[in-house]
Amino acid sequence: MVAITSFWDERKLLVFVTLIILASVVMLVELDAARRSERSFSDQIVNTVIVPVEDVVTQTASAVAIEFHTLAHSGSMAAENTALERKVQQLAATNERLKERAAENMQLRRMLGLAQTMAVHTVAASVVGYAPEGSRREISIDRGWRDGVIRDAVVINGDGLVGHVIDAGAHDAHVLLVIDPSSNVPAYLRGTRTWGIVTGTWQHIRMKYIGQDVKVRFGDTVITGKGQIYPEGIVIGTVREVDRRDNALYQSAVIVPAVDFDGLTHVLVLKK
Amino acid sequence: MSRLAPGAALDRFRPEGEQRHPRVRPEEAEVFVPPRFWVLVVLAIGAVLIQSTLLRPLSLRGAHISLVTVLLVWTGLRCGISTGGILGLIVGVVEDALGGGGANVLATTLVGFSAGLLNVRFFADSLPVFVSAVAGATVLRGIVTYLVSEVGLGVRGSFHRVSHELVWQVVLNAVVAAITLLVLRTMSNMRR
Repeated sequence: MVAITSFWDERKLLVFVTLIILASVVMLVELDAARRSERSFSDQIVNTVIVPVEDVVTQTASAVAIEFHTLAHSGSMAAENTALERKVQQLAATNERLKERAAENMQLRRMLGLAQTMAVHTVAASVVGYAPEGSRREISIDRGWRDGVIRDAVVINGDGLVGHVIDAGAHDAHVLLVIDPSSNVPAYLRGTRTWGIVTGTWQHIRMKYIGQDVKVRFGDTVITGKGQIYPEGIVIGTVREVDRRDNALYQSAVIVPAVDFDGLTHVLVLKK
Repeated sequence: MSRLAPGAALDRFRPEGEQRHPRVRPEEAEVFVPPRFWVLVVLAIGAVLIQSTLLRPLSLRGAHISLVTVLLVWTGLRCGISTGGILGLIVGVVEDALGGGGANVLATTLVGFSAGLLNVRFFADSLPVFVSAVAGATVLRGIVTYLVSEVGLGVRGSFHRVSHELVWQVVLNAVVAAITLLVLRTMSNMRR
């Protein structure tokens, strides 16, 4: 009893209880805000102050990295330059051919009376930071509701689906990546048009609820299906593994994401 | 029953003239002056910023370095429970605001407080103590964050991933802690 009293003396106990109560209150407020996809008061203050600093740090680090890369490869620059000039000429020729085909394509579209599948406006944004600890797979971007980025707006990049906006401030927003376990996206396999739900597994994605009678092939492309949040036709990834058990109601597949989530720098937000 | 003072039996082996407890003059004694609290807060926010930007590409089997955990343990060991706990609370709020959804604040507060409990029991400048405390704090933090994520955020089936990453994060944080303490010691020696 003496040992307990000396170890947990009154002051320590008071500090402990006070801190735990404060931390629990803050935690509950944060959890409640996260569940409602809103920002708590402390979130708003911290993001207003820190996100611009994050932006500066990211840009500075990227500029420094480019300078280092240039210095390190200055020797091979001349040869690379010649090769690039040749490549530019080839690409210019290819570009001309593609322009012709695009024009032809436009004519055909008009003829068929097909509407463009993704007639939405987009906002380009830079990734300014990731969640500091690995408790969630989130990124911060430098565009907020003043730029037209609102909650549930879908975020993509050149490779495919990145995720959707979970909360937006005036000049910044948080994006929940599709690899987060709390992300659920309606999707289908392009080859067989089979529907399922795509959920994150931290590093990869798993497509669940695929019917048992469907033959899922290795390398099949998975794309978004039209849902409450997501538009149709955005590439999510390709099938790497199929998990099929005879006694299960559904089969599932492990999907390799089309997007490299560790190297995200710029994204496009589809305006709602 | 012998009335000898503890350790007196060893006196016969001690060279002549050498005292059992060599006295250090007050002007020679190293007195640790804890940093001001706002300095610690700035350092902690800096650590969060570095983690969310520069350190993000560096990972070992999915685990990332947590400078915040190292700083909290150092603060707790050096400054005690109040400073460690309050700094943990503040840094947890910042981490949750930048992406965490409430999973960090309780864990960081507990880490700061727990490190502060070691303050009176261990020598804060000891490398094994500091590294072990950082390893323990990483595990504590991982467990609390996992429980809050499971219960509060409804994230299911992440135990395998969390436990796997936690092992590697313990290794990373322990290495960072050892390097940090050695750098701090060298800087302290150079100043003298």
